[in-house]
Amino acid sequence: MKFMPSIVMAGAGLLLMSLPMAAHHSFAAEYDSTKKIELKGVVTKFEWTNPHAHFYIDVTDPAGKVEHWNLELASPNMMQRNGWTRHSLKEGDIVVVVAARAKDGTWTGSADTIQKSDGTKLTFMAAPPPPDVK
Amino acid sequence: MRKSFLIGTVLAATIAAASLVVAQDAAPAPGGGKGPAKGQTRGGKGRGPAGPTGPAPRMSDGTPDLSGAWMGSGSNSGDISKGLKPGEQIIMQPWAEALMKTRKSQDDPEANCLPTGVPRGAPYPWRIVQTPTHYFILFEGNIHSFRQIFMNGKHPDDPDPTWYGHSTGTWNKDTLVVDSVGFNDKFWFDYLGHPHTEKLHTIERYTRTDLGNMTIDVTIDDPGAYTKPFTTTGRARLQPNTELLEYICQENNIDLVHVNAPAQLP
Repeated sequence: MKFMPSIVMAGAGLLLMSLPMAAHHSFAAEYDSTKKIELKGVVTKFEWTNPHAHFYIDVTDPAGKVEHWNLELASPNMMQRNGWTRHSLKEGDIVVVVAARAKDGTWTGSADTIQKSDGTKLTFMAAPPPPDVK
Repeated sequence: MRKSFLIGTVLAATIAAASLVVAQDAAPAPGGGKGPAKGQTRGGKGRGPAGPTGPAPRMSDGTPDLSGAWMGSGSNSGDISKGLKPGEQIIMQPWAEALMKTRKSQDDPEANCLPTGVPRGAPYPWRIVQTPTHYFILFEGNIHSFRQIFMNGKHPDDPDPTWYGHSTGTWNKDTLVVDSVGFNDKFWFDYLGHPHTEKLHTIERYTRTDLGNMTIDVTIDDPGAYTKPFTTTGRARLQPNTELLEYICQENNIDLVHVNAPAQLP
């Protein structure tokens, strides 16, 4: 797996479409939604847990160094309501992930889209919008 | 009152447990891929279609029937001042304003899997269960808990401060009026960290305007933190074909180590 060091400065339109919404903590306090990263790696673990599902991938850069990424998803309940199951990802899957990286610079991100090697695209990552006001 | 607390607690726990069993047994298929399942809406600030249309249902005795799974709340969970009724404003006591400026997102009780209190909503569905003596609000999240509303009840003289307070309910025509006191000062009104004190008194007004929609007005009176009462308004949308699912926030709450920033919007 080659690390794809593309930090994508997303356009305003893309931002509006893909800006993740509030979960049980502030997204904006944790992630920089203006910088998207693209990672290609192998799934090492999929946690179908609350308050957020997570999956972990190993990304190998051209020099052979392996980075262990932790990628956050929405809650399993909200993901189920949008087509996910606990089998949607599994260890060994090869994936290309577009994510917002954590502001603290760790190998942590909030997944935006996931493309599996069989062509399957998983797209609903974020929790739903905050409760209604007017 | 202590007896009614006990009865209410046991009854609520029973109903909540039964509801969960039903939810897990009867939960609909989770939908077919991208976006909400057929007949569902995501709710949110004008996003997606409105809820189903038709007249608001009534129970056999004529009482408005508030049943169903709902998304939404009576205030803006990001910034409570955004949900104010026209002409309303929030003026904080100086100490409250100073406290708010020191708050950090990782200390938000909601982020720590603690209750949102009143009136802050969470991005998960909830359900009202009406019995002759008690109404219950069952929450899928932020914590998998419930509020109990003592219909035509009275507040205790000196209630212990709690996350959801002590709530009594009455009907004013077709509006359920919920009066609550006895709150602790631990929960935040929103992601920005608007604070409150144990003097908090809330009056919520729930009106099911039609089959798929509910308006919720909340008057907040806390002379300990604000110079005068204010009222926020919001709405909830019915979530057809949705059952509450189990949500145990404490299970794997591993993200807060990365949430190191001043309290801010979602």
